[in-house]
Amino acid sequence: MKISRIYLAALIAVSCMVATLISISGAAFSQSATPADPTDAGKHVFQRANCMGCHKWHGNGGGGYGGDALSLRQTQLTREQIVETVSCGRPGTGMPFFVRGSYDATKCYDMLRKDAGDQMPPEANVFLRPSEIEAVADYVIAHIKGKGEPTYDECTAFFGNGSRVCNVYKTEAKPAEAEQAKKAAQ
Amino acid sequence: MKRNARILRRANLFATAVAIAGLVGTIPALAADEVTQDRLLNADKEAGNWLLHHKNYSAHRFSSLHEINRDTVKNLKVAWTMHLGGVEGGGIWTHGGLEGTPIVENGFMYVTDGWGSVYKIDAHGGKGTLLWKMDPKTDHDWAGAVACCGVDNRGVALWGDLVVSHTLDGRLIATNKETGQVAWQRQVADPDKGEVITGAPLIVKDMAITGVAGAEYGIRGWIAATDLKTQKEVWRTYTIPGKGEPGHETWKDDKNAAATGGGSTWVTGSYDPATDTIIWGVGNPGPDWDNAYRPGDNLYTDSSLALDATTGKIKWHYQHTPNDPYDYDSVAENVLVDVPGKNGPQKLALEADRNGFAYAIDRTTGKFVWGLPFVKKVTWTKGIDPESGKPVEYDPKKPVQTYAVTPNRTDKTTDICPGNMGGKNWPPTAYNPDLKLWYIPVIESCNRITPEAMTPDKIKPREFFTGGGPSQPFKITGSVTAIDVTTGKIAGKAEMPYPNLGGILATPDLVFSGQPSGEVLALDGKTLQKLWEFNTGGGVNAPPMTFTVDGKQYVAILVGLGGAWDKWFIDSTPELKKMQPGSMLYVFSL
Ligand code: HEC
Repeated sequence: MKISRIYLAALIAVSCMVATLISISGAAFSQSATPADPTDAGKHVFQRANCMGCHKWHGNGGGGYGGDALSLRQTQLTREQIVETVSCGRPGTGMPFFVRGSYDATKCYDMLRKDAGDQMPPEANVFLRPSEIEAVADYVIAHIKGKGEPTYDECTAFFGNGSRVCNVYKTEAKPAEAEQAKKAAQ
Repeated sequence: MKRNARILRRANLFATAVAIAGLVGTIPALAADEVTQDRLLNADKEAGNWLLHHKNYSAHRFSSLHEINRDTVKNLKVAWTMHLGGVEGGGIWTHGGLEGTPIVENGFMYVTDGWGSVYKIDAHGGKGTLLWKMDPKTDHDWAGAVACCGVDNRGVALWGDLVVSHTLDGRLIATNKETGQVAWQRQVADPDKGEVITGAPLIVKDMAITGVAGAEYGIRGWIAATDLKTQKEVWRTYTIPGKGEPGHETWKDDKNAAATGGGSTWVTGSYDPATDTIIWGVGNPGPDWDNAYRPGDNLYTDSSLALDATTGKIKWHYQHTPNDPYDYDSVAENVLVDVPGKNGPQKLALEADRNGFAYAIDRTTGKFVWGLPFVKKVTWTKGIDPESGKPVEYDPKKPVQTYAVTPNRTDKTTDICPGNMGGKNWPPTAYNPDLKLWYIPVIESCNRITPEAMTPDKIKPREFFTGGGPSQPFKITGSVTAIDVTTGKIAGKAEMPYPNLGGILATPDLVFSGQPSGEVLALDGKTLQKLWEFNTGGGVNAPPMTFTVDGKQYVAILVGLGGAWDKWFIDSTPELKKMQPGSMLYVFSL
């Protein structure tokens, strides 16, 4: 009892924080000429729920030292299927479930925890509310699904202007000096 | 522009220094605390201090302090603790961790957190008082996205009146020891290429030696020396030889695999002043698990490298796993010991490799002396040749090696023992020169490799280039294993429920270590029997060290599970999933 109340309080605190974050960015946008992107809320979920920890900021996932998160750029899933995948995770893989009570209070893929057995997907670090899952699915559909190689513009849209993460997507040739080491090995 | 900015910064710094001096009234006696090459060479003579990352240049991690000993250790208690920061995530990481070794000089301690903040703590009076924190404002997104194995920083080095440290985003930073103000900094590694830095610098003759991480991202590894007086690079030696250099012929492919061949150097090496030689371990080739992409022995990956400290020139190398298909890197520290041998004194370099074998190399020639498995289970080879130390299946004429068990392009998966974390990973060994025992922090493991055939078009800046990946269908445990260096035989093994992710400290009759489940332990140095244990409640992922203040002995250890384990390997230790991230310093005394 006690624990769940504390948990609830924490959850409320976190969602308040998210609300503040969203409203702050909303305010910033309303002052600029470009209207706010309606999928911005979904981008914040993508960051906060650490989708990027496995799928990377660009959604291409890939490789890794153990996790091979699928490419969301190449996904064939519909919005509904993405919502289900995020809510329920994917049994037998590292894709976690993000909804409290999945496989316990509510069945996933027609399974409860005991049916899933050792195929039970991991529980996510944060739980999301249905509206947040819809938001992140909208974001994936609008900005990730069906896109080719990540671009500089996509990167700065994600991280903001000036982020050094985006250096490598700049189209201008890199200074000769930076490529020197590689050349020397040829 | 740049120069102006620097002058301006200097002027600012000077102003700050003057202001502080004015406030304090007198400038503290800096000269006495200046760290010189002479003091570093004689680090063991300052018994109460811990001046070098591995305690001395030989990487012994042995302290002669003995107030805490076999008889008294049962009374060891927490003296004080301190919460540190840097636990926040960034890039692909949900949180940072602590892997550092505290440095202590004259009762003042210097530690780092995972994002490279440096903390100076006054340890006088039986308590810890934070004097300053230098936050380098590491670029979390930029560096965290290309750190294969955690948000880590293994500590600082001291030189002159400066604290010298690295950041994950590739900088070497010199901080004024008294004020905590950054004196200067220099970009040494480039995260745009997938390079990051996690190791502590090694100071040799007024140079800071830097190693790099990134073999999972297609880097070409190097070791670099920066002149601390001029802040200029003195040398940079690539661990993958360039065209025309000896060793280049061990990359026999036609797609320039050497350019992205890995060979990172992210663990601090050792130094032999008698021959002015730096001995440094080199990591795995890339792509990690597709050795058919890079036919040849792939020098100098998976090797111990001996470099002329003055020029950076390679003197000798010893390679452990040619054409490695396992990710069995050799970044581990080389422990320099002199022991009597059949034909007079032997000057050895000891290395406990990820591949599960411990090696003794003649450090004057680079020739193999002895080797043996230090893990309970080895399957990848039937053994090593007693003359050459090479795996018995090794065939120098074959472009792509097949060992007893080899991940390859034909089989979907291959189970290997040790697993790809080792054996032994970065956590340091310790050597007791009185008992001639060498203690290895062991990961007793197997895991499953799913290789993926690589092609050059799969190389993308800042993206993984691993040629497959590991999974964890097997439970992984650990041990502290002791090797008698006079015989080259196992002298004892203390088995533990979890892998050893922290490393070891040796004192005259004790061995200290920890477990990722929270325990800090003291074992009997001879029998490896457990004599004392304290549960910190956080995962131990860093090495213990010891020091004195005002004549009293303390043992210190950073606690906060991070690193590769809880992201990539946790399925092999499911009980550890409940360990919470943390960032805390524990200090014990009698
Ligand atoms: C702990 C790592 C991890 C996290 C965090 C994570 N994923 Fe995944 N995700 C995976 C893995 C692994 C797969 C691949 C499962 C498989 O092999 O079928 C996957 C698959 C998916 C798929 C299915 C793709 C397809 O085409 O079948 C979607 C959609 C998805 N993830 C969305 C998300 C979103 C949105 C988030 C954040 C709310 C997220 N994931 C967080 C690891 C993760």
